[in-house]
Amino acid sequence: MKKIYTYEKSREAFERATKVIPSGIYGHQGPAEGCYTPVEAFPFFSSRAQGSYLWDLDGNRFIDYMCAYGPNVLGYNDPEIDEAAAKQRAIGDCTTLPSTKMVEFAELLVDTVASADWAFFAKNGNDVTTMAVMAARAYTHRKKIVFFKGYYHGVAPWTQKIDYAGVIEEDVMHNIYVNWNDLEGLKQVFEENKGQIAAVISQPYMHGNFMDNELPAEGFWQGVRKLCTDNGTVLVVDDVRAGFRLDIAGSDHYFGFEADLICFCKALANGYNVSALCGKEFLKNTVSGMSYTGSYWLSAVPFAAGIACINKMKRINSPKILIEKGTALKNGLIDAGKKYGFDLRVTGVPSLFYLRIADDPTLMLHQEWIAECVKRGVFFTNHHNHFINASLTDEDIKETVEIADEAFSVVRDRHEK
Amino acid sequence: MTDPRTMAYINLFAVLGTLPYLCETDAEARELANVKRVTIGISVKDGPCGKLTFENGGCEVTDGCDPCDIKLVFPSCEKFNAMIDGTYTPIPRKGFLKLGFLTKNFIKLTDILTKYLRCEKKDLENREFFEKSTTLMFHLILSAIAQIGNQDKVGKASASYITDGTVKMSAGDFITLSVDIKDHKLTAVHSAPEKFTSFMAFDSVETARALFDGEINAVACIGTGNVRVGGMISQVDNVNRILDRVALYLA
Repeated sequence: MKKIYTYEKSREAFERATKVIPSGIYGHQGPAEGCYTPVEAFPFFSSRAQGSYLWDLDGNRFIDYMCAYGPNVLGYNDPEIDEAAAKQRAIGDCTTLPSTKMVEFAELLVDTVASADWAFFAKNGNDVTTMAVMAARAYTHRKKIVFFKGYYHGVAPWTQKIDYAGVIEEDVMHNIYVNWNDLEGLKQVFEENKGQIAAVISQPYMHGNFMDNELPAEGFWQGVRKLCTDNGTVLVVDDVRAGFRLDIAGSDHYFGFEADLICFCKALANGYNVSALCGKEFLKNTVSGMSYTGSYWLSAVPFAAGIACINKMKRINSPKILIEKGTALKNGLIDAGKKYGFDLRVTGVPSLFYLRIADDPTLMLHQEWIAECVKRGVFFTNHHNHFINASLTDEDIKETVEIADEAFSVVRDRHEK
Repeated sequence: MTDPRTMAYINLFAVLGTLPYLCETDAEARELANVKRVTIGISVKDGPCGKLTFENGGCEVTDGCDPCDIKLVFPSCEKFNAMIDGTYTPIPRKGFLKLGFLTKNFIKLTDILTKYLRCEKKDLENREFFEKSTTLMFHLILSAIAQIGNQDKVGKASASYITDGTVKMSAGDFITLSVDIKDHKLTAVHSAPEKFTSFMAFDSVETARALFDGEINAVACIGTGNVRVGGMISQVDNVNRILDRVALYLA
């Protein structure tokens, strides 16, 4: 039997946090949006991280399948990336004139990403999805944006819904929502809004929360591409979450089409703070004329880290490794569930897998199992897709499956009594 | 921004809709409702239509205003809302023989309701008053959630994301109610559900009260464990968004 973790120091820190930070820890890394259910099963703060592991304040070690919600793609503190960053830090980071590391990084992305003719840098995924939509509107002089239901493109008002706090009707009045994989529905929307749609924005496949992830149907992306081309609409792929975990050349390349604009962030620099919007030549002039920047957007250290990260990912063919490791984990978890009579669904691309125990539609059983895994040292979350990083070893996968097995047995025992 | 039509639905089915629970909770209210059956029909042009039935110390609020003993017809949602605010007096269309109930018992009942729902901080220092007030507020808010989810533009957007099921809402062992969702229509159920698909549990009635009074936030309380959510959390998330709008309407 594995040791059951407790989190006294995390709780003490959270108490302090709630006094000076709204909700203690806000956003997806907090207990509310992170769906920490029951909250006692989860640690709140980390003390350090290395490779595939993170340690909390109480000294508990976790095999971390959230990977900082994506940025950890090669392993925490990868020496190659850290060395490149340290070298750049020693000579300059946030300076009045930008470093040519920016040019070098853009050149590398143009050489790496199939649909990229240029690159524009910012800090977060939200910065570049917003830039993409603004660029599409600037280029087309149109207002409307098509989204696929279950989307997540950040937290700027245009990405949110009318009922979110602080969002006003005008922020979202030009948003049109279509079901994922519904090409006919999309065609109808184009018919009904002829000459008005600036962009279709989408993740490369449906990896929304609270639902099994869904890959594109055969011919779906090619159909979307054609509709956009025929209607003069910009096709934006939000590859912030999936980017470089499916295909080093971009997830549009993985699914056999070309985006007009593609957004990257998480896996771009193994945790160093940079995001990128890449695009086709025909949009470069438009983007050149836009006023869009930030205090730290041209800092050189993240560029150096990004260059090292892309180069290493290319050298080791990391997407292949991540998918293989994810597949081994997926099979192990499904088998462990079957042993105790649970139907564990593992959906999405294995490098970016989503978990759900399908035996209970209320998801309470699933939440119990996740809690038992976390308390034993496997950091899963309840209703978000998970991430594989390249430093994950076969031993880690074996340990994860053992813990998952024990967690399944605990949940089974609890419900048999 | 609030909408007068949604406000009228809230006023009829949530505010006046709390009268049955007032009669259960408060002896004076029960005495005022201890009459031979009297029905008040309320018809609001381009708005809600409902009936309040008082009998043997109890009250029932139902959809549809006919048949009724006393009928109050309002030319607009704004006029009905003004009556609830005490700035407009309607003239009954029928039921002149039972006007005594309307002008005495009914007015007194709504005064008692106001005492509990719009109380001063110091009133809450009395434990019995606190519990009665919070019980009534819980019922009021539950009904208001359903009305906003079904009538308000933004509330309907939240409801459109909610899958079918039942959200259990509780405050310690003090009270448990629920919201049923079917085809994105919300129904307030003023009792504990046998089965539920998600839950939002306040650890105590004090936490619930603080949340209703806007002193704490549900998201912040999840981290501290004062509010627990589970099951189909997206249901709770969307009901919570509607709950945020309740404060806007009932402020």
